[in-house]
Amino acid sequence: MTHFNFRGNWRKSIRLLPQAVVVYVLLAALVIVMLGPYLYIFSSSFKETYTLISIPPQLIPEQFVWDNYTYILNELPFSLWFFNTILVALLVTVGTVLIDALAAYAFAKKQFWGRDFLFGLMLATIMIPGALLLIPAFLITNWLGLLNSYGGLIIPALANVLGVFLLRQFMQTIPEELEHAARIDGCSDFGVFWRIILPLSAPALATLSIVVFTSQWNNLVWPLVVLNDKDLYTLPLGLALLRSEFQVNYGITSASAFLSVVPLLIVFLFLQRYFLEGLTVGAVKG
Amino acid sequence: MATTSATPQRSGLTETSFWQRAAVRRNLSAYAFILPFMALFVIFNIGPFFWALWLSLLRGDLVDQVKPFVGLQNYLSLTTDDITLKVFLNSLQYTVSVVPIAVITALALAFLIGNKLVRFKDFYRAVVFFPLLASAAATAQIWSYILAPRYGVLTYLTGLLGIPEIYWLSDPDWALYGILLIEWWRGIGFHIILFLAAMLGVPEELHEAARIDGANAWQVATRVTIPLMRPVILFSVVMGTIWAFQLFDTVFVLTNGGPVHATATMVWYIYNHAFRYGQVGMAAAMGVVLLLIIMPISYVQMRVLGER
Repeated sequence: MTHFNFRGNWRKSIRLLPQAVVVYVLLAALVIVMLGPYLYIFSSSFKETYTLISIPPQLIPEQFVWDNYTYILNELPFSLWFFNTILVALLVTVGTVLIDALAAYAFAKKQFWGRDFLFGLMLATIMIPGALLLIPAFLITNWLGLLNSYGGLIIPALANVLGVFLLRQFMQTIPEELEHAARIDGCSDFGVFWRIILPLSAPALATLSIVVFTSQWNNLVWPLVVLNDKDLYTLPLGLALLRSEFQVNYGITSASAFLSVVPLLIVFLFLQRYFLEGLTVGAVKG
Repeated sequence: MATTSATPQRSGLTETSFWQRAAVRRNLSAYAFILPFMALFVIFNIGPFFWALWLSLLRGDLVDQVKPFVGLQNYLSLTTDDITLKVFLNSLQYTVSVVPIAVITALALAFLIGNKLVRFKDFYRAVVFFPLLASAAATAQIWSYILAPRYGVLTYLTGLLGIPEIYWLSDPDWALYGILLIEWWRGIGFHIILFLAAMLGVPEELHEAARIDGANAWQVATRVTIPLMRPVILFSVVMGTIWAFQLFDTVFVLTNGGPVHATATMVWYIYNHAFRYGQVGMAAAMGVVLLLIIMPISYVQMRVLGER
């Protein structure tokens, strides 16, 4: 019986072999296309300037050099841009999650006048393209005296409509009994939110954090219109500047592009699940 | 009739006012929770929306204190301006190219990864996610090197295959497709991951049943799997279209609309007219046109989000 099964599987394997070969060849091609560009600029960032434009292109540098990295770190305000990006992305993430969670709790668990109207209004604003809001948002930021400052990058980004949807939807699934029990124990409204709702919403909060952090990390347009001072630049804006100043110095642009991506790659490897979940929720692409 | 209906209301007044006070308190508490969000939402979303509509009726520089009212003049100017038409056609051409290409290739790749022979599906999911992590600016730098004439890797490889050299980003006939290629790489993972999740959610019994009825793999895919994935494919098309019409970052970093406006998109037009050329009214009018295009498509997205 075992013998028969073995032969059966073996036959089946032989029959499926051509299909398996085709499938894995195509998958290998997919992996090369998706990861190749990253690996290529990673290797290019260690190339000497003259080998960057050699024909045929060198996939692995003949000589590893650190010059490109020492240049962008010593001669350019790259580490400053790095710091700005981390600071702004972190503050926007924390602020957004908190502000959105507060609103989401009210929309999920409370009855109040105008609730459905306000919620519908928020839904409707999803349809407005960001480019239309860009000009007046700039004028308001200017009027508030926030141009060319961290505040101008952070404050206008804090009210995230999609975040309220995500959190409200999650909070609606939290059983009422938990709230009632907490209230009987003497919890205030805010106590219920802070001690019961927020901890139980942790997975949704994590997903939203990832979505907000990633989109802030990669945001180009808003820093572009708000900032003048190169010392306040974030990475995407800095990269755009380098691209215009070092057009064909691919060592500089490769090293800077690679460094700007590395932190998110690392975060992604550890928190993949939340990135995948955030994909459908946020549906944000810069 | 009037007296009888008025009496219960009046007699109930003392009773309801107690309840009303509790309701007021409950409401105030809820408003306190939504206040920070709503304040920012009104200042940076609702306010700007109506202000943008108003701006489209004015003429002037970004920083002009007084902008004269010109009525619909900006909209009329849009119809007579050469660049407007070019920009509009570019955005349209780009969208109707990139969306079907992305959705169809993503569908094929989702079937590839979803194949029963493939193990470690999570690995491939992560691989296709990787391009989504990079900013448009970083991706633009990566690809400008790959697409570079003569010594670019892609140029070299296509040369080996005997394909004549393509100036991906500097030939006016090709530049939009160079951008498309980059954006395809950047966004394809979104569609693949969405499709893969939907595909693996189709119950295996349905496939078995179709196979027992004598369907081959192609028939199972086109008659069973894909029809069941229709809502997800619709969502994919909608999101892809919304992004495509708002293409800006990659264009700004790589070509700045050129060569000769070959990659000038609607958002590129808005940015430049508002922040470079001092024509805020024209920029806002173009923004409203974009809104009118995006709104019906986005309505579907809103419904999907609203249903969840």
